[in-house]
Amino acid sequence: MAATKRYQRSDEPIWWSLFSAGGVCVAMLIPALIVLLVFGPWLGLLSAEALSYQRMSALLYHPLGVLFIGAVIILPLFHAMHRIHHGLHDLQWAHSSLAKWLCYGSAVLLSLLALGLWLLGVFV
Amino acid sequence: MSRKPYQPSMPANWWLKHPAYRFYMLREATVLPLLFFIGSLLYGLYCLSQGEASWLGWLNWMQQPWVMALNALALLASLFHAFTFFRLFPQVMPLRLGGRTLPASWMVAGQWLGVLLVFLALWWLLGGYHGSN
Amino acid sequence: MKQPDSIPSDKQHLSMTVQRYRPEQDDAPVWQSYQVPYDDSTSVLDALHWIKEQQDSSLAYRWSCRMAICGSCGVMVDGTPKLGCKTFLRDYPKGLKVAALANFPIEKDLIVDMNQFLHHLTALKPYLIGQPSSASEPNRQSPEQVKRYQQFANCINCGLCYSACPQFGLNPEFLGPAAIALAHRYNLDSRDQGKAERQPALNSKNGVWSCTFVGFCSTVCPKGVDPAAAINQGKIVSTMDGVIQWFSPKQLDTTPQEPTS
Ligand code: SF4
Ligand code: FES
Repeated sequence: MAATKRYQRSDEPIWWSLFSAGGVCVAMLIPALIVLLVFGPWLGLLSAEALSYQRMSALLYHPLGVLFIGAVIILPLFHAMHRIHHGLHDLQWAHSSLAKWLCYGSAVLLSLLALGLWLLGVFV
Repeated sequence: MSRKPYQPSMPANWWLKHPAYRFYMLREATVLPLLFFIGSLLYGLYCLSQGEASWLGWLNWMQQPWVMALNALALLASLFHAFTFFRLFPQVMPLRLGGRTLPASWMVAGQWLGVLLVFLALWWLLGGYHGSN
Repeated sequence: MKQPDSIPSDKQHLSMTVQRYRPEQDDAPVWQSYQVPYDDSTSVLDALHWIKEQQDSSLAYRWSCRMAICGSCGVMVDGTPKLGCKTFLRDYPKGLKVAALANFPIEKDLIVDMNQFLHHLTALKPYLIGQPSSASEPNRQSPEQVKRYQQFANCINCGLCYSACPQFGLNPEFLGPAAIALAHRYNLDSRDQGKAERQPALNSKNGVWSCTFVGFCSTVCPKGVDPAAAINQGKIVSTMDGVIQWFSPKQLDTTPQEPTS
């Protein structure tokens, strides 16, 4: 009789869901955001006072600003680190669970950093 | 007669060996310039929390040629990502309407329309639209 | 019916380079070139027949139906997995390279060992399970119910998708495109009740979760099965299955066992 071992449920659904949600955000929001934020002033799409400190802090530190942080920083981070994790496997550079911890761990840490900076701006 | 099967192995550069694999790797690599843009945003978030002078410093930094160049790359990467991602959507989640599957091309077009609407909404939100009137 | 040796030799020729592996003398595959005559209707399989009959009777390759339905004539043509009988020399006027299907062990010349694929296929139980059978009552299925799985039922087990899949090449334990597409096909079948038996394998690391949606499997599939779509729909199914499992009370563990050798 051949030895048997139990099929183990993968934890990939968690990372894949975050990756997919991030993928939607990157495809839908990031192009517009780059055009406006990076090239907006340059192309004359945005005036200087549109990006002024007063306007931007009022916009971003609005309670709904946290959704914006989630959609343009946190989910895209998980999207990116998921692809890097699989890319390391594809390139046969790293297969270990250490690589996995480093990839998703950095996504978690940078997300916490983003939330912390946002809270700092809101409450200080 | 004994067998002696030849066991092939994946060469390290397998992903360079076929146009389909190069396309795939290019798609995966779109996250590298994206990470730079996310980094720029994190830096901006930090600067905004530090007061007006620091925020103006960030706006200036964003206009530096090398930062703009890398973010231009991030823009191209995000558009390429969108192009690949929108095509996958009808495959992963075929939408059925009244017993028939929605044509994939409609779903792709709908998503690009979404990109355009998001752009207009964000432009309006940032005050560029009425600001320039 | 067209016999290979009926190809007249006053036709145009092109150079077909064929991968040879003769286990009794070679340690690794080698390339051998042949000048083969062709016309508009000459397939890669016809050309292999011509080589075997006219040039080198030791050439080994598989074939049977010559009409893209048995799935046995898969080869790499210029690095892309193709059915030899469905690929025509007229599309390669500059010559072509024909090799054994990638990602499988090579037994001899163009003949590969597909056991890994068949092993994965069996593990996913690609047949109706729990179907109440009765001679007097046929199992009714509406056209809509057929449509749900029909596309995934067209697989001919040619294995081209396994040769196209780098994730299978990197990790032969990955259950792979065709097997998962067939599992999905039965999971979508209104007559089937076997989903609970298939899901544990699909939920595992070597199930749907080894796939990174390269998508090349769907490009090369000669039957339009779109295994990449099946696998990635399977990711949603697997995710939902996990969520349901998470919220449902602990039950007796009846998880199927993974066979290991
Ligand atoms: S899914 Fe397509 S390529 Fe894969 S074995 Fe079936 S018919 Fe061949
Ligand atoms: S010989 Fe049967 S599929 Fe090609």
